[in-house]
Amino acid sequence: MKFRPEFTLHDLLQNSVARDPSALSVVDGDAEYTYEDLERESSALGSALADSGVGRGDRVGVLVEKSWEATVAMLAASRIGAAYVNVNPLFKAPQVEYLAGDCNIRVMIGDSQKLDALGPKTVETAFYRGAKPEGHAASSYVDLAEAIKGDRLSEDRKVSESDLATILYTSGSTGMPKGVATSQRNVVVGAQIVSTYLENTPEDRILSALPLNFDAGMSQFTTSLRAGATLYLLRSRLPGDLLKALRRHEITGVTGVPPLWALLIRGGKSLRENPLTHLRYLANTGGRIPQANLDELRKLLEPSGTKIFLMYGLTEAFRSTYLAPEEIWRSSPEQGNCIGKAIPNTDIMVITKAGKEAAPGEPGELVHRGPTVAMGYWGNEEATRKAYRPNPLAPPELLDVERVVYSGDTVKRDEEGYLYFLGREDAMIKNQGYRLSPEEVENLLLGSGLVHEACAFGVENPAVGQDVIAVISLRNGGEDGPVDKVREYVIENGPPYMVPREILVKDELPKTASGKIDRKGISNAYSN
Amino acid sequence: MVSGNGDARAAIREWLQENVTGGRDVTNDEPLIDNGVMTSLQTVELVVFLEDTFGIVVEDEEFDEENFGSVDSIATLVESKAA
Repeated sequence: MKFRPEFTLHDLLQNSVARDPSALSVVDGDAEYTYEDLERESSALGSALADSGVGRGDRVGVLVEKSWEATVAMLAASRIGAAYVNVNPLFKAPQVEYLAGDCNIRVMIGDSQKLDALGPKTVETAFYRGAKPEGHAASSYVDLAEAIKGDRLSEDRKVSESDLATILYTSGSTGMPKGVATSQRNVVVGAQIVSTYLENTPEDRILSALPLNFDAGMSQFTTSLRAGATLYLLRSRLPGDLLKALRRHEITGVTGVPPLWALLIRGGKSLRENPLTHLRYLANTGGRIPQANLDELRKLLEPSGTKIFLMYGLTEAFRSTYLAPEEIWRSSPEQGNCIGKAIPNTDIMVITKAGKEAAPGEPGELVHRGPTVAMGYWGNEEATRKAYRPNPLAPPELLDVERVVYSGDTVKRDEEGYLYFLGREDAMIKNQGYRLSPEEVENLLLGSGLVHEACAFGVENPAVGQDVIAVISLRNGGEDGPVDKVREYVIENGPPYMVPREILVKDELPKTASGKIDRKGISNAYSN
Repeated sequence: MVSGNGDARAAIREWLQENVTGGRDVTNDEPLIDNGVMTSLQTVELVVFLEDTFGIVVEDEEFDEENFGSVDSIATLVESKAA
């Protein structure tokens, strides 16, 4: 058997088809699909996308719930040189419309119900799943089920590792969500790196519990694709469904965020009575697991052979570090939040404010150097220049050739080279594994038309990372309606993790000397 | 302790109104999970409420989308346990 060199996602697919076309690639509920199915249907959909005018480098939105069709859509766009943009399934219409406008999505593959919620002419063409949409979100509609079943082969377009593969939308500390432009090379090397340290094989049965718009969720798909393993799609986040999926499919690997483990631990009785003997590894990302939960997880899972990996990743560089299972004791209340060492083929530098490498124990900014450093933020030169900078430790002869990512996270390194997360200086909020900026929450509140001024910030809560808290003043001195109306608007128009845990009303918000809303002062006053 | 058909539905809806929807009432058959009405953490809080209010224990395997998909299905689970 002849394997292709791995340059693009399409190469990963072709190699797994060559290895065993009848092996299961994706299982969605009761439906099982082979690698041959993935090849045939992504080819058919790729050709239909090309017919709709999708060219090399164009962005294709994926607005279907995590499903077989969602995985086919990614590979279909990718094989014709287009970039897929997986949309957060929790997004409501205003966020989807923002994203479609930001990266100019002209073709969207979506569930009919979700397409119908969008405003007129949000996109040119929509491939719908379900009944034909009644709304006017697109000028023309194509039935996804028909497109995917077609027997035409997609044209043999040139795709290289330097092409844009996907845009991963993520929030920062300021402004609206930014799209991290990620190349074929970033995605493929990311899959190589992660599948190497997780030791994935064709025998693996991987549970996809994270959304595909999240870097780690997408990474599970690409690592599974590269290994020729089987990916089991789980949409529910309730512990009963999680437990049943782990048992029924004899899952060997699962990746999740801290709130998921809190739910898994809730099933402690069931895990003690009937241990998960097939589960080879569990990987955490998206924040620190509260120590009590980590201890409990280890007690429940390690005796039956499950290894626990603690991962740290920046969307801007896909994945960055991990703490190996045998070193997990290094993360403790005494030693701190250990995030391990750099992933293979990657350097993690700790850079001081003076731009020098920090000494052991000295705090500095985590700076990522390696092949997963993404192309930059889509359409945002200012933010790109700020985060993607020349390598500060490059020899002068190579000045300004290589770009690295400045994470904004403060860390330190111990004598043995292990990294510890210390915190962030900016106002980015992390809630339930999601990143969001205060402005996003404030814009959502102001969008209700009832709010005069808004200030949002995060308050530490180990169970979720940070709670979102908002302090507002109401228009017309509150005569326009009570705070319940504001809350109702936010719930209807934003994803659940963006809904403030508390909304406090003041007559007027305190300002700084320059007249801006004093977020730091308001946040400090709240905490005290 | 509360019992009887209407009571379970009313109690669950009242809890949702207070803790999840910001005052909006939900219908008995409205999908709670698919539409992202409740986050997974809120469902955990709901289970604690149900266990305290109705004196029942929700087993690990019962805590799934089938049983927690709507006010009707949650009430059915509660009633089957309280019976």
